[in-house]
Amino acid sequence: MNWLRIRELVRKEFIALLRDERNRRVLFLAPIIQILLFGYVVNYDIRNIKMAVIDEARTQESRTLIDSFTGSKIFRIMYYPKDQGELDSLLLQSKVDMGIKIPPDMGSRIREGETADVQVLADGSMSNMASIRIAYTVLVLDRFNMNMIRELKGQSLDYGRIDARIRTWYNPNMDSQNFFVPGIVAFVVMLISLLLTSIAVIREREQGTMEQLIVSPIRPAELIMGKTIPYIIISVIQMVVVTAFAKFWFSIPIAGSLVLMFIATCLFLLSTLGVGLFISTVSSTQQQAMMTTFLFILPSFMLSGFVFPIANMPIVIQWLTFLNPLRYFLVILRGIFLKGVGFSILWPQFLALAILGAVLFAGAVTRFHKRMD
Amino acid sequence: MSPRKIGAVMRKEFYHLIRDPRSLILAFIMPLCLILMFGYALSLDVDNVEVVVVDYDRTDVSRDLIRHIDASPYFHVKGALKDAHEVGDYLDRGWTTLGIVIPPDFTRNIRSERLAPLQVLMDGSDPNFSTISRGYINAFMERYNQKLLVEFLNRKGMERINPPVEGRIRVWFNEDLESRKFIIPGLIAVIIMIAGAMLTSLVIAREYENGTMETIKSLPLSAFEFLMGKSIPYFLICLSNVLISVLLGQVLFGIVMKASFWLMILASSVYISVSLALGLMISTATKSQLLANQGAILLTFLPSQMLSNFIFPISNMPKALQLVTYIVPAKYYINILSGIFLKDLSFAGMWKDFAVLAFMFVLLAAVTMRLLRKEGL
Repeated sequence: MNWLRIRELVRKEFIALLRDERNRRVLFLAPIIQILLFGYVVNYDIRNIKMAVIDEARTQESRTLIDSFTGSKIFRIMYYPKDQGELDSLLLQSKVDMGIKIPPDMGSRIREGETADVQVLADGSMSNMASIRIAYTVLVLDRFNMNMIRELKGQSLDYGRIDARIRTWYNPNMDSQNFFVPGIVAFVVMLISLLLTSIAVIREREQGTMEQLIVSPIRPAELIMGKTIPYIIISVIQMVVVTAFAKFWFSIPIAGSLVLMFIATCLFLLSTLGVGLFISTVSSTQQQAMMTTFLFILPSFMLSGFVFPIANMPIVIQWLTFLNPLRYFLVILRGIFLKGVGFSILWPQFLALAILGAVLFAGAVTRFHKRMD
Repeated sequence: MSPRKIGAVMRKEFYHLIRDPRSLILAFIMPLCLILMFGYALSLDVDNVEVVVVDYDRTDVSRDLIRHIDASPYFHVKGALKDAHEVGDYLDRGWTTLGIVIPPDFTRNIRSERLAPLQVLMDGSDPNFSTISRGYINAFMERYNQKLLVEFLNRKGMERINPPVEGRIRVWFNEDLESRKFIIPGLIAVIIMIAGAMLTSLVIAREYENGTMETIKSLPLSAFEFLMGKSIPYFLICLSNVLISVLLGQVLFGIVMKASFWLMILASSVYISVSLALGLMISTATKSQLLANQGAILLTFLPSQMLSNFIFPISNMPKALQLVTYIVPAKYYINILSGIFLKDLSFAGMWKDFAVLAFMFVLLAAVTMRLLRKEGL
């Protein structure tokens, strides 16, 4: 192992990569575009539930009910349709998310001590959003009931009841950005390191310079070091840039240790560089390498828990996710960003990343050696 | 225009395609995998949230509460812990997302007509999950309190109070609230962009890189015939992908179209044309496979996945991004698909989306023709 040769190889790699103006731009802009896109697009926060109300009662009670919806600040009443048909077409055209129909006999029924049925129509197309909207509607109706009963009885009903005090840990405002932005750090690191490593080797092959490298005194191990070290450096720089963006642009708190995050990134890079090298051994053109990278990234993105919770997956698929390095890296990143937990809790993930990384990298290196000989 | 010449270009393109297995994987296996994955594995719905409980009270009342929690469709009691600190540890390690702590004076509070605090600890990291489960907790507790109220009134011998209003909730379009019912139709839009735009983005750039573009220019072939020959094979691939997706959705996941099948085919044909025109335009403009591929990912794949109402609601995005979504073709197509699959809309209800897509196609095709003519084809 000759360090001088490795150093020169690294330098050559940097020159080859950065000479092209377009490459420089992609390297700089791609992560920033990704973090901005993900940071703003992936948002499940509930605000502005668009609502249409048919008030057939037009009494004090029905107005109070409407007020309790507008007062919650989550609902916005957009339309007051005249009849059911008009409400139906508002829902069909997605102009509103929900419709509420207050029956004409609401006031009289309440005064007689009976229950008035309020019809709630919900657009269920996006089922997860619909579940949240329905839960909020039920809550508003229940609060209205409580106030109404108090008013009717003219006394406070002090019966023994449960007061659920929900404390939300790690992300108290349930802010979408806090959850998704740390994941982008992982995604950017993965994309850059995978694609660049595989292309770096193939470029030599496409341009025919691979033969020259083989006849030069460079040994395979040195070639691998020379082809991976530059991308380790670039990936780490990208990680720092994206993390800084997360902290200062999106104001995501980083509760845990940055050193631990750095170590995790290095372990994760071991896996992605391994996969990148492997792809370079099975592809002969840049085009093939890019397609294979795409075929690898898409499933590992979807089966990582980035957007879709792993707990929701069928058990067989859940087992499959254990082979996905991104899964562990995400747990570590979210643990460090949001929970502020340390190695004593995250060690299983670190161990898994280390094992996966070692196996993938060693496997790729062996295959790479074979191709060189 | 001569059908024979178009046929010749088509045949050449077809050979290219079957000689590169990776393109075929991208064209056929990938869509299949995506459908299966989204149908079986990926779901945003939250049901049967796993809960750990700590019961310091240990009375009939507290045990009854736990039984009710477990029996409700929302929750599943996974285990009982001894200590509230253990719950924190479980949350830290990600072993549970929800912990309920019943304090020692719980029963005493309820019996003596006081508020009985109940501690609920929740992992809020995932906003989709935690917002929904928070709603579940509130809804469950409200129900349980009504039961306690009835018991209280019975004890006091007072007349029963009816709740003044009761929400009769009816869910439209996706009656069982299953996320796959809106994800799978939307997925068709993403698949077409992968199979259509990403593959076609290479076809003209390839001619330039291989140096065969000069030969083509010297042939008695018009720009129109060239483009038709290049796109028809991909049009057929995309259309068969649509049919496969619809068939799988129906057979495996019971996702049935509410509106007309032929309306869906019409919408898909228009959208496929848009995506192919987009791919061909990128290809002609960049002349390099690497750049064309990156451009296709950036201009077709990412927007059709992220800015199209596919899984991320547009109404939640910042205003500036919402404006950007107006130029994303997938947005209009997904709108049409949800009209066809979920809402039973007719053409009259969606003609605007059709018109926008048709306009986009004409515009993109005209630009591509112009670019090619400038090159001397």
